Amino acid sequence: MRRTIPFLAVTALAVAAAFSVPPHAGGADADQLEVLSPWADVDPVPVRGLSPRVDTLRGKTIGLFANFKRAAVPIQDEVARRLKERFPDCETSLFHSTLPNVTETETENRERFEAWAREVDAVVAAVGD
Amino acid sequence: MLLANRGFVEDAHSAASGKGMPGVRILGTTIACESTVAEDIASGIDAVFDAIVDALVRPLSAVEAAPRMQAESQPRIAFRGTRREVNQFFYRKGWADGLPIVPPSADAVAEMMQGTDLPPDHVVARIIPRMGKATVEKIAVNAVMAGALPTHLPVILAAVEAVSDPKTRFDTFEVSTGSWAPLLVVNGPIRKDIHINCGSGVLSPGDIANAAIGRALGLIVKNIGGVRKGIEDMGTLGNAMKYALVMGENEEESPWDPLHVDFGYRREDNTVTVMFPNRYAQTIPAETSAEGIAEALAGMRPGSLSCMMVIPDHARIFSQEGWSKKRVRDYILAHAASGGRQRRLQDEDFILVITGGPGVWMGLLGSAGGFGNSFVTREIRLPAGWEALQKKYGTMVPVYVRY
Repeated sequence: MRRTIPFLAVTALAVAAAFSVPPHAGGADADQLEVLSPWADVDPVPVRGLSPRVDTLRGKTIGLFANFKRAAVPIQDEVARRLKERFPDCETSLFHSTLPNVTETETENRERFEAWAREVDAVVAAVGD
Repeated sequence: MLLANRGFVEDAHSAASGKGMPGVRILGTTIACESTVAEDIASGIDAVFDAIVDALVRPLSAVEAAPRMQAESQPRIAFRGTRREVNQFFYRKGWADGLPIVPPSADAVAEMMQGTDLPPDHVVARIIPRMGKATVEKIAVNAVMAGALPTHLPVILAAVEAVSDPKTRFDTFEVSTGSWAPLLVVNGPIRKDIHINCGSGVLSPGDIANAAIGRALGLIVKNIGGVRKGIEDMGTLGNAMKYALVMGENEEESPWDPLHVDFGYRREDNTVTVMFPNRYAQTIPAETSAEGIAEALAGMRPGSLSCMMVIPDHARIFSQEGWSKKRVRDYILAHAASGGRQRRLQDEDFILVITGGPGVWMGLLGSAGGFGNSFVTREIRLPAGWEALQKKYGTMVPVYVRY
């Protein structure tokens, strides 16, 4: 009996220990964490559809917008050449934005840019990058 | 329709969507960026010319004519999981920076926000290109991720304000192929309060304040501004300085007024000054006389905009030989070689910061200027309980074993 009591006590302690250990025991790394999102909210941006397409390029004036990057104008020169080759009665009009890293509608060129846009039937823009 | 190098098509779509025009017809070409080769341009246009014509004449689809943007919903709680699972989730979402992050639990974020008296929903700035709202809480979330302490938050908030100032032209630098990194120069007593390194190895890893403040700003730009590598951030080669580029001026070892006093602040004010370099060069002077050091500084060819790093020993030599900071600056202006596309150096093009430790090297962090951009300085505002906060976190310094 004297040997049985310690045996039973040890057994009872072992069983109690087994049931008291949380299922995810394994250290702090195994703890469940609830974390906040770092991704920010934005105000909704109103969306706009594209301008209607022209039905043909024949007889049209195609605006060629070139930003300030050095390849933009040569690209548009090549586009103009090919347009003229394929559509001899198509005209082109170049707008060259020379101010670096700005949107033309946000600069002192806004009026000139908008006047140019009103005079063309469609636009090909080249960013030179 | 838009023509862009094929590597920029996603970038162009992102930009168009950001302006409310998700349906813009964009064609990728094989033309090398900024190509100067006629044959390259001709063959590139030849390959897409039919598609150009098609883009101009093909009738719009219903979606192109009337697009509907899906409203983004941002749950405040992003995820539940173990530390490892949180890290993997954040990385897969594109919210991390390649290194493990500190999970931003609500408790950790609340603790971080002790670094300011501003309310959690106060919008500090809207960050381009997404114009994400940088609320105090969102900034704090990213600061926790970076491993920052609450005592770093005042600097981080001021840095967000500074980069958002239009005068920095952050809208250009952040997305540019040039891979420009935000440099933060910190002045004032806060440097000592929060152990911003101003001395030996000022730009090396190893200091929580320098590292975490810089890293937090990078995460903020990514997660609040929405700048993703290869989509909005088109840095061709990238720049390791984007992880963190923070220096304190070594005001205590400088014989001159510090940078923020030059900009009109009081010595006891705390400030952060921002610019965006993409290159870092170091050199040593052939002669360590005042003129020799000045000649070496000028020889580094500072352009617009530049941060010239002068070590305390060289500043002391200048002072001993009677050179004021102005005299050093005038020498640089007179002797700095101009070349390439750079215009002649102007006084407002560069700052001179006393920083670094013992040695003989001087440094230059070079950016680009001349398109209406400038250095921007913002005051760092401290919370009412700053002293207690600083006492609580002020012991966070490494103690190296000597051997």
